[in-house]
Amino acid sequence: MADFIDGTENVTVHGIFNWIRLLIIFSVITVIGNYIGYKHPIGEAFIGMGILSLITLAGVWLERELPFNISSILYISIIGIVIALPGMPTSKFVLYYVSKIELLSIVTVFLAYVGIGMGKSWDEFKALGWKAVIITILVIASTYYGSAIVAHIILVLTGVPAA
Amino acid sequence: MGWVFISDRDNDGKVEHIYREKTDRRILKKNPWRDYRLHGTVLFLVIIAELIGTVNIPITKNVAITIMPLIYTIMLGLIFYLDKNIRWIKKKQARIAEGAMMLFIGVLIAKLAISSGQSIHLIFEMGPALILQEIGHLATILVLPIALLLGFKKESIGMTNSIGREPNVAVVVDKYGFNSPESRGVFAIFIIGTVIGTIFISFLVTLSLSFLPLHPYAFAMASGVGSASMNAAAIGPTLAAFPGLESSIEAFAGFSNLLSFCVGIYIVIFIALPITEKFYNFLEPKIGRGSLVKEKEDDDNG
Repeated sequence: MADFIDGTENVTVHGIFNWIRLLIIFSVITVIGNYIGYKHPIGEAFIGMGILSLITLAGVWLERELPFNISSILYISIIGIVIALPGMPTSKFVLYYVSKIELLSIVTVFLAYVGIGMGKSWDEFKALGWKAVIITILVIASTYYGSAIVAHIILVLTGVPAA
Repeated sequence: MGWVFISDRDNDGKVEHIYREKTDRRILKKNPWRDYRLHGTVLFLVIIAELIGTVNIPITKNVAITIMPLIYTIMLGLIFYLDKNIRWIKKKQARIAEGAMMLFIGVLIAKLAISSGQSIHLIFEMGPALILQEIGHLATILVLPIALLLGFKKESIGMTNSIGREPNVAVVVDKYGFNSPESRGVFAIFIIGTVIGTIFISFLVTLSLSFLPLHPYAFAMASGVGSASMNAAAIGPTLAAFPGLESSIEAFAGFSNLLSFCVGIYIVIFIALPITEKFYNFLEPKIGRGSLVKEKEDDDNG
């Protein structure tokens, strides 16, 4: 298993096509949900999903191709930020089509997969006691409030208006 | 004994690739796209969820609970897996879903990144708040006394040093060893967080938006808690609560997420874990109880 984590690893063509097919499936489901929920035109939304899928593909591919220990999340973030920067020749095109996809539509589909995937941990979950459940809930709440409250204080201190 | 061991997890201290390992094994070698039952079910859940749409349940005059389609899909997904009558969603589908998730999170991150790029000026204007809110995640350590009062020993160090997601699990296992009490603690938080964390945070955020008069951008920044699915569940209600601010909120969530990935892990290694340990050594002799793990032998709460 260690060979998965050590340095670079060449992804097979088969693997890349698996990614592409999965991203197409994800895009189709998201565009349908996006149409039902927000009535954005299907064609334009599909181009938007195509752009997002290409960025994702580039990110996961770069992670394996380049010799740095950097997560694909960072590559994806950097590519996304750069192509949308004001003044970049790509930014107008990218912003127009990506705005046809609501973040919430992506989240809704993504969380359906999360829901099915987390069922696998159900038995292990049941084996843990209520005390651990209490601690988990408190930990999640405190990490959220901790950063919300710190951010709020700094925003107020630096005089950022609320809208 | 209620402790769980996560068998398919080996991290040689390479925290950066913890997502990748899962994705690779389940996606690159098999043909996950062929599982039409899984994808068909997801499509079905999404259509149902979007058709129901957002429901507002008023509690008092000014406070309402908003239930969004994302809650339906996650809950229905879990119910479909657990329901014995639904035979086409089994462990195999759950495994593929989990692997596919690691790829699909990229699409979500890309969408946030594009909003961040579009509003890059915000990072210069609000950099201090963005950076310092990462320190706010240290608030988890405040839960340590409660863990001690409930009878946890060294497990509590693993439980309360951070939110206990994949990178945090890797750090704790790397530092204390796979079979240490600290690792058992972080595994427990990981498992419970996986099952209830996403649903819990979506309700927590919805309620907080109604009750807490915080800055909209503070809510946006706080949604980057360091877990992809919890992150997604936290942004949803925040976007819905501040119409007109969508692109800034997405931008902040994107920046905060990026920051969590870049520096979050180092905050845990260099700040959170050492503080948690010191706090534990200080508090344990004062309020520590008899070891819970021993009691648990005869006290079965499964």
